[in-house]
Amino acid sequence: MHVVIATDGSRQSLAAARHFQSFADPAKVTGVTVVAVIRPLAAVAFADELSPADRRAANAETGSFRDAAKSAVDVIADALKGWGPKVRTKVRSGSPASEIIKEAAQTDAGLVVVSAGNRGLTETVLVGSTAQRVQHYAPCPVLVVRGRARRTR
Amino acid sequence: MTVTTDQPEREDQLTRSITGKLLYFYVLGDVLGSGIYVLIGAVAGAVGGAFFVAFAAGVTVATLTGLAYAELVTKYPQAAGAALYVNKAFRNKALTFLITISFLSSSFAASGSLASGFAAYFAEVWELPPALLITLVFLLLLTILNFIGITESVVVNMLMTFVEVAGLIVVMGIGVWFVAEGDADFGVLTEFSGEGSPILAVISGVALAFFAMTGFENAANVAEETINPKKTFPRALVGGMVTAGVIYVLVAIAAALTVPVDQLADSDAALLEVVQAGIIPVEVGVMTILFAIIAMIAITNTTLVSVVTQSRILYGMAREDVVPAAFAKIHPTRRSPVVGLGFSFIVVAGLLLVGTLLNETGAGIDVVERLATVTVVFLLFIYALVIISALKLRGQDEDDETYRASTPLLCVGLVGNVVLLGYVVYDDPASLWWVGGLLAIGVVLYLVESVFGRRDRPPGAERGDPVAGTSAKEH
Repeated sequence: MHVVIATDGSRQSLAAARHFQSFADPAKVTGVTVVAVIRPLAAVAFADELSPADRRAANAETGSFRDAAKSAVDVIADALKGWGPKVRTKVRSGSPASEIIKEAAQTDAGLVVVSAGNRGLTETVLVGSTAQRVQHYAPCPVLVVRGRARRTR
Repeated sequence: MTVTTDQPEREDQLTRSITGKLLYFYVLGDVLGSGIYVLIGAVAGAVGGAFFVAFAAGVTVATLTGLAYAELVTKYPQAAGAALYVNKAFRNKALTFLITISFLSSSFAASGSLASGFAAYFAEVWELPPALLITLVFLLLLTILNFIGITESVVVNMLMTFVEVAGLIVVMGIGVWFVAEGDADFGVLTEFSGEGSPILAVISGVALAFFAMTGFENAANVAEETINPKKTFPRALVGGMVTAGVIYVLVAIAAALTVPVDQLADSDAALLEVVQAGIIPVEVGVMTILFAIIAMIAITNTTLVSVVTQSRILYGMAREDVVPAAFAKIHPTRRSPVVGLGFSFIVVAGLLLVGTLLNETGAGIDVVERLATVTVVFLLFIYALVIISALKLRGQDEDDETYRASTPLLCVGLVGNVVLLGYVVYDDPASLWWVGGLLAIGVVLYLVESVFGRRDRPPGAERGDPVAGTSAKEH
């Protein structure tokens, strides 16, 4: 089974990858694709919060969102190193949900792993999160990893 | 087990998402909305009936600058724009910072004047709400849209551009109708009403018309995600600017023929005067509302992109540790730069508030309009520097496919920018005070960050020091 792990550069997406790794059987996973999606028209096309600070500073200097996305997928790929299955990384661009679904379709994935942010008002009422859209339209099962609840609510 | 990364060349072809056609419409939409709906009256007032000449000249200078952008973008297809190019060419931190601050303040001023323009057209549809309220609500909504991420929709972007072009086609159609009926007096097109020599009148108009072409540099934002940028970027950028330029000149001619110049000059919403002249046999009331809505959509499109650009610049500056790190804060689920967006809104709203208050108290200074003209100084300076950077970086980072703009044309563009810059300063020396004031604010921000931003850095490190373990500057 091929698995697509999506990252938006957030720490939660790394936690999602680790969570998946914690229970999945590496013998049954034939390959993993770590995918990041750049949103060219957004205010910040890709925000990398995963890479070490020095790597991030290097990316900031060139202003390259593509480099930021590449460092983020590398961090997740590194976390899966030595686990078993072959890990590929890929950076796509466009609308996150649809690109993640395309990637899943192209690799004939058996599972998509995404992280879900906390559902705020804007999220549920106005647009719906990337995780929700992936759940609705993915060609395969989807693992949505929810972060720990916030302290105050 | 091994971790493999696929060949980037092969992957890039597949995964970049902006096609040449999309980029063309992005440039066109961005350029078209920004000026013509808001500025045409002011240009007409400065030049007289022949004001299409000012548009033609302004468009030409801007397009020549666009050539330099196209060349630099194909060499360095990253999102940082002018600041990156100047940094590559001069390697001077202070100069790069200056460019960024200049660009940011001109973008703030542009948002302010666009919001005022929006309110002027809005008043044609519904007069009741005060203009200040409209501008503030307008800006707030755009900020929220950017926060949610609606601006990412390529389809919405295209639709807005089509609406913008449709509005200008209406104006041109009225002009053609008018000519076909035989009522047109083409003598208007050679009239200069400004005092003094026609050349000075045209230059003052050009400086304003130039403002109408700004916005094209925002296209550098999406350069990195353009498919085959070396080929498509120059074509789409220059194509979009030339299309916008031709439309501008035709619209200016149509407006001059159909409406008396002084009436255009006195109007807040000048293009509406053309529609209201009642030349085509459609009810004026219907046309007015329709056209006002089109104008509002056009202005909205440009303002949306300028808000995106502001928060992107702030984000980049914070990442480079030039402004406080809070500006790089990303909302955990929406992945938008929440602090940057909020700050931009507060600055522009503040400008509009102060402007209105000063107007009410009779101080006679319209801060927003004043800033819009002042920041032309910044833009001309930046554009001139970008052209110089393009020339200076010749021979570096080039390969066979690199787009190379014609050197004589770049020189003409450079001269054009410098002449305009000289004229703007000569015509309005007081603008230098404003420029100085804005820069002083930037320097204060810079100093605040160097005093208080220290804790972000490792002990002993200075601002701008390469962080241990990287040699990012030279590749």
